[in-house]
Amino acid sequence: MISIREVPDRAPPEPAAVDTSGLTKCYGKVRALTDCTVTVPEGRITALIGPNGAGKTTLLRLLAGLARPAAGQVTVNGSTPRQDPAFLASIGYLAQEIPLYRRLSAEDHIRVGAHLNPRWDAESVRERLTALKIPLDRAVGKLSGGQRAQVGLALSLAKRPQLLLLDEPVAALDPLARRNFLGVLADGVAAGGLTVVLSSHLVADLERVCDHLIMLASSRVQLCGDIDDLLAEHQLLVGPRKDTTAIERSHQVVQITRTPRQTTLLVRRNSSGIPVVDPAFEASDVSLEELVLAYMGQDAAPALAHLTTVGEEQ
Amino acid sequence: MTWLVWRQHRIQFYLGAALLAAFAVVIAITGVQVASQWHSALVACAASHSCSRLSDTGLFLGNHAVGFLVIMTLGAPALVGLFWGAPLMAAELETGTTQFAWAQSVTRKRWLAFKAGWMLLAAAVWGGAISALVTWWSGPDNALELDAFKPGRFDIMGIVPVGYSLFAMALGIAAGALLRRTLPAMAVTLGGFIAARALITLLLRPHYVSAVTVFYKVTGGFTPPGSYWQIASGVLGPNGQAINQNTTGNAINGIPANYLPASCNAPSRGAFTPPPSCLQALSHFRAFLTYQPADRYWTFQGIETGIFLGLAAVLIAVTAVVLLRRDA
Repeated sequence: MISIREVPDRAPPEPAAVDTSGLTKCYGKVRALTDCTVTVPEGRITALIGPNGAGKTTLLRLLAGLARPAAGQVTVNGSTPRQDPAFLASIGYLAQEIPLYRRLSAEDHIRVGAHLNPRWDAESVRERLTALKIPLDRAVGKLSGGQRAQVGLALSLAKRPQLLLLDEPVAALDPLARRNFLGVLADGVAAGGLTVVLSSHLVADLERVCDHLIMLASSRVQLCGDIDDLLAEHQLLVGPRKDTTAIERSHQVVQITRTPRQTTLLVRRNSSGIPVVDPAFEASDVSLEELVLAYMGQDAAPALAHLTTVGEEQ
Repeated sequence: MTWLVWRQHRIQFYLGAALLAAFAVVIAITGVQVASQWHSALVACAASHSCSRLSDTGLFLGNHAVGFLVIMTLGAPALVGLFWGAPLMAAELETGTTQFAWAQSVTRKRWLAFKAGWMLLAAAVWGGAISALVTWWSGPDNALELDAFKPGRFDIMGIVPVGYSLFAMALGIAAGALLRRTLPAMAVTLGGFIAARALITLLLRPHYVSAVTVFYKVTGGFTPPGSYWQIASGVLGPNGQAINQNTTGNAINGIPANYLPASCNAPSRGAFTPPPSCLQALSHFRAFLTYQPADRYWTFQGIETGIFLGLAAVLIAVTAVVLLRRDA
């Protein structure tokens, strides 16, 4: 189990759209994903965050059944990803590079989807793309990157999947289109029956629509849980430059920043949920961005490598 | 799936159909000329009772350009492998569109079955149509030259082009699935096709059925009936030893002069009737001809087609294993 799930005041577990345990994937000698144990609650939008090369795409591909794990288990919508029309119909996946047939038009893709899927909402795609002024009859290879992304996203929604896996879906969109698309996702989830996992490294966008977070770094899970819970579990301590050994002994220090005059600590509450009480330090809440950057920075700083134990079993 | 395959590959299909149609027009027009030339030659020789020597009269049917085009259909199966087969999987894996196709509600097995199935069908039609045209066009030529069984002619007529086309297509598909890149897959397809065709023609085909060897007197002669395929011929000496016929000097009935008494030495010009002592010496030599009789033509066509169909099946099985086992 991941430590975060052991927090005592946690609500009873919700039904999970995705459940993995000990998931490991190697490409040659490179470990793309190591011992990944995560849960994605049903009917929510989960953000998959991590630096480049952290294993986000690998995890999404394993969930979509496009890749096979070297070790560990995956359960998606109650079963192991498999080559079966009913399972495939329940999953939507859009790869980062938006792989569409370049010579085919959006309308062609709509018709391909209609031929290959049991549930297919062709009208929703046409409406969406028409509203965005994207020509339906032009070869998608001739569309701009952002337009192509919109076509890919509209098609992945038209499949009406139970679980939608999106790899960097908003990367190619302008800020307005980004906000608009995330709004569409949120509406879809609110309407029921849809769970979304989307990867990104743009925390600000995700913060608006996501309520669950999985953070990967160096192929390992650093954080997994409800965003509100995660924020409540961490605190930012600002104080004079002084010895912090006592705090480090009782609490997990995620990040220490020392300037000549002050020390800033990002601390995780210990297993009993007790915050750091030290009159020398001023405690404040953590923003999602600070939290994410602290965990990413941890990965970059070798001196603190011993702290990268969050995702492992207790 | 059928709609997707059609939509993705219809340009290739139109192009293939256009090439085939152009070829058919050329073959039809010249084929009619060839047939009428042949018909008048037959009428003429029947009048002079010389039809048995028709092939010695230097009669030439058709024209050189079309004759060359017909020979060039040896390469037609390779075209489908190169331009339809190799990109079929490779282009999708290269551009990542498999990730789109496999994210729809269609299993990879079904996806492969439809894509490969329609392409193999197209390849069979391509090979079959070209072969039918060439076979019809070459009818008079086969009757005149009696060489339908010989390598080079055997390979462009009958049913073997269907087998070659299916094999080339399957080879292209498998190479694309394994290499995941179009250009290397095309190179491997071309190399593999030529290698397989050459090796099977040279090493296997002569032995599908044990060849017939006939021994005969060097002073006589022997020609099997119809379009037989000569595998080997030669002369054996008095002790059964093979005679090396590759000499530059004089030779009588295929036997170099140094194997024979001086009485066999012909004058450098003028008619020569060998004296009895020479004939006596010649009678100790035997000529032989190893060949596949003409009536085995369809047996060989069937065996050769079967071999290439088997190879194609293996390649498609390899493709399936690679696609189903490996990651997208």
